[in-house]
Amino acid sequence: MKIKYFAWIKEITNNEAEEINSEKINNLYQLKAFIIKKYPDLKKHFDKEVLRFAVNHEYIIENINLDANDEIAIFPPVSGG
Amino acid sequence: MIKIQKEDFNSEEEINKIKILYPNLGAITSFTGYVRNKNNNKKVESIHLEVYEAMAYKQFEKIINKANLKWDLIDCLIIHRYGKLNVNSKIVLVSCFSEHRKDSFESCNFIMDYLKKDAPFWKNEFYNKKNKWLANSN
Repeated sequence: MKIKYFAWIKEITNNEAEEINSEKINNLYQLKAFIIKKYPDLKKHFDKEVLRFAVNHEYIIENINLDANDEIAIFPPVSGG
Repeated sequence: MIKIQKEDFNSEEEINKIKILYPNLGAITSFTGYVRNKNNNKKVESIHLEVYEAMAYKQFEKIINKANLKWDLIDCLIIHRYGKLNVNSKIVLVSCFSEHRKDSFESCNFIMDYLKKDAPFWKNEFYNKKNKWLANSN
């Protein structure tokens, strides 16, 4: 699955996008755990629940199952307009 | 119509392109957002706006559909810029077209409220030698 990072998140990951494919990642919660392990500096932001998640361009709040073709975006609160 | 672009635009021309299509049109309400030279007591030199473009198109379509369900609209126009924008530059234009003013006034406000809360854009504000990512408070 393709993971995209935006704004200051990508300054922590040093990466705008990456492919993460693991048999152990079948849902959003498992992906979050994987990402926190890979980028420990993101943990405090995950814990504060300030980050937002989108799967295939739709906001997702609850846990959902993920597919290898999904595009998951992780980003901070928006500031457009 | 939805446009997400780096380039500046002429609001009047963009609105007129839609206006001439609809002789039944009686009201247009437009909001334009600009880059301010001050924010949180800091002198702003420029901003850099980042966008998640594919999601922004999808989310704008959704909010226009929602507005169409709530108000009697003839058309809607959203133009949102990204990239480096200097002070006084236009950031966003939202125009709502209807037969009567109430529909255009209220839907324009509704779309802007949504846009500030949910549209996937991020402002990185640049000051003298420093910069800061912002989050909308309303």
